[in-house]
Amino acid sequence: MRRYLTLASGAAAVAFTIAMGVGGAANAESAPAVKDGTIGFVLTSRFWAVHQTPEGKVECPNGFNDGPREQFKQLFPEDGTKRTLLETQLMREGRQWHPTTSEEPFTFKDAGGKISYGMNLDGKVKDSDFTSPDGAKGIDNQLYRAMGCITNYRAPEGTIYHFENEYVGRYVHNRFMIEITGVDSLTNDDDVTINSYRGIDPIMADATGANFIPGGTQRVDDRWGNFVRATWKGKIVDGVLISDPSDVVIPASATFDTNGLHRFKGMRFQLKLTPDRAEGVMAGYVDVEAFNHHLNTSWSTHHQSYGQLSAPSLYRALRRLADGYPDPKTGEMTAISSALLVKFVRTNVVHPPRATASSEPANVQSVQASHQ
Amino acid sequence: MRRLGSVVSGAAIAALAFAVAPGAEAQEKYRPPVAELEAFVPEPLPPGFSVQHTDVDGPVFVEANGMTLYKWPLKDLRNGDTGDRKGKEPFCANVKYTENSGLMSPYPPGLVLPELDTRPTCEEVWLPVKAQEGAEEIGKWSTLKRHDGSLQWAHDGMPLYTSILDKQPGQVFGATSRETANDAPALREPAGPKANTPPAFNVKTVATGRLLVNHVGFSVYTWDKDQPNKSNCYNECLKDWTPVQAPQTALPQGEWGIIERAPGIKQWTYRTKPVYTRVQDRRFRSMEGSDIPGWHNVYTQKNPEPPKGHFTVQDARIGQVLADSTGKTIYVYNCADDALDQQYCDHPNAPQVYRMAICGGNDAARCVATFPYVIAPVGAKNGNMIWGTMWIDPMTGKKAEANAKGALHVWTFRDRPIYTHSGDLKPGDTNADAWGEFNGYRNGFKAFWLRDDFLDNVS
Repeated sequence: MRRYLTLASGAAAVAFTIAMGVGGAANAESAPAVKDGTIGFVLTSRFWAVHQTPEGKVECPNGFNDGPREQFKQLFPEDGTKRTLLETQLMREGRQWHPTTSEEPFTFKDAGGKISYGMNLDGKVKDSDFTSPDGAKGIDNQLYRAMGCITNYRAPEGTIYHFENEYVGRYVHNRFMIEITGVDSLTNDDDVTINSYRGIDPIMADATGANFIPGGTQRVDDRWGNFVRATWKGKIVDGVLISDPSDVVIPASATFDTNGLHRFKGMRFQLKLTPDRAEGVMAGYVDVEAFNHHLNTSWSTHHQSYGQLSAPSLYRALRRLADGYPDPKTGEMTAISSALLVKFVRTNVVHPPRATASSEPANVQSVQASHQ
Repeated sequence: MRRLGSVVSGAAIAALAFAVAPGAEAQEKYRPPVAELEAFVPEPLPPGFSVQHTDVDGPVFVEANGMTLYKWPLKDLRNGDTGDRKGKEPFCANVKYTENSGLMSPYPPGLVLPELDTRPTCEEVWLPVKAQEGAEEIGKWSTLKRHDGSLQWAHDGMPLYTSILDKQPGQVFGATSRETANDAPALREPAGPKANTPPAFNVKTVATGRLLVNHVGFSVYTWDKDQPNKSNCYNECLKDWTPVQAPQTALPQGEWGIIERAPGIKQWTYRTKPVYTRVQDRRFRSMEGSDIPGWHNVYTQKNPEPPKGHFTVQDARIGQVLADSTGKTIYVYNCADDALDQQYCDHPNAPQVYRMAICGGNDAARCVATFPYVIAPVGAKNGNMIWGTMWIDPMTGKKAEANAKGALHVWTFRDRPIYTHSGDLKPGDTNADAWGEFNGYRNGFKAFWLRDDFLDNVS
């Protein structure tokens, strides 16, 4: 059985609808999951929050954006002209890695409509804001406006939509955990502390391997994963964890021997808590340059082509639609509002002792020692 | 659960007949400046051929002048394959390709390649190792007929070449045996003899040396608290470490010995040290076991270290990277073009437009600003073949005359310049890792990872 919970909170304008199983939703007060005021969760699912209507007719009435292959054909039609690699492929690749905001001969299709997942991050209700599926006003999710009509980010066929989520579970590098401390109650607690870590263990799954289950163990990666560490405050209201804004880094490698990450500014959590799961939305501002960097270092132009994603075109849109963190010198916005739909399962967070200073492999250590 | 993956069948071991090449080192024209060299399984060679130890790739076959031999295995690319087929006429011929092949994606074929007036043919870059008519085939060595009717030596059916990049014995500048990612080009590989290991083991080229692994791919370790040919790892120790067992029928040979750690239980030793795998290792080629005091990865041969005083090692988000003296991560540039012969474009004597597109959007000044060369003192010494220096014209990316106006004296690895990245703001930043086509493997930059705990220490 599934039920739909609408999260609501006065100050933070909770503004999305989530579906979640209730198998583990026993009486939180009596659950043993909270031990010594602490409960841990590991991320198992992460999607950019893209609100979709059938065939995109509402949000993408003019269709979807073109990708690298389509743009290449527009620029260089197959008309018998002999062209050089330098003026075609290498010019386009140069734009991938050194994008600009100059005009381009392609029309970018923003997502329209009025509905989006997300949160009201700035506390204002503006013309550019969305309304949540539940009717909350002032939703800030301009990243949705930029990516909503790019097939790569849409369900179910988008390559990035599918694989970025699959890699959350597949690659240990991507293991993102939160540990909530100072928990008196999973139902209501006006002061809890949230810590984020990178784990270094596989997530426990059921016999099918497709579903992650609570109760596993994750060791904290305190050797290489300290870039994920952060601490911030929050509260639990009617079973929903509501966090203060905080800068958060989420490891987000794709395949192909990459090790990327997503950087968020002022990110807030709105997570429905049960003793076994946490589910909801994480919303905050994504640094535009960091987003573009992650996209290109994680997904080659070839892979972007699968879902008609042109990184140079998307970059222009991100810069145009950016709505947060103005540059102190120019005033230009450097970050764009965004939201992630996320799921966690409960995990036992193990804090190992730190490695000793003499723990490098011999060959590496000798290089290091010569320069200390 | 304890892993015993390194135990192999008695029949397999019984057939083992491995040996060290006696006196092989004495014949070599270059001696890598490391303590120990990798032993290899000798095999009959045609006259003029021999084995040469190299800095990174261990022992390789060389021709009469000591130049490294290479092969070009067929590789599936996105839209087709290219390379040599085993036992077939060598594909690398006297053809000057003028257009890209479209074997990669998403760009179409038929685009005119750069610098056509000076573009060599495949066999001008990869020189076929010719055999005389009537050359006597021996062991794995045979001859194949080329397109022009001439004969070319082959090893295990794969045609052999030398590289125009190699100028001295011991150089392996044409290619490396280090593994790479799926969307890398159809790369050449040095051809060499089999490492002298029992079937329970294998040797993999990683950034720090020739790493000993078990036959599955998991790292092998030794322990300081063991004694020569005696294990002290019992009881509690065995919860974390698994002795690599030797079958009853196995025989000691060369650097490989066998001890009986308990009645009827035999364990392999390497260079008199008992060897183990680590129970908690989950990834191939792991170096995590070396974090445990007293435990060490095992190398058949280590790489020469970078020039002293000029480089450091920094912790990064998946492991350790080589960095310059200020802590900025070092990057290597990888490139091969999309012509059917997959010519390298990661060397200063090749077209630089590929690199310029990626590092600067075809703007040389931006390229240098974004990916600065790593400056080397004039007269810097390195003492090995793998690290070096060269003069570079930063505006063209090509080699320059010494002290030429505007030229930079830069460090090189494998005869190619190395770089830092302007976007790295503090030691350990690796923000240009995977920067370029196909995540930096096809035309782009990869951080100089010395160790990674998440990606199998591939590259």
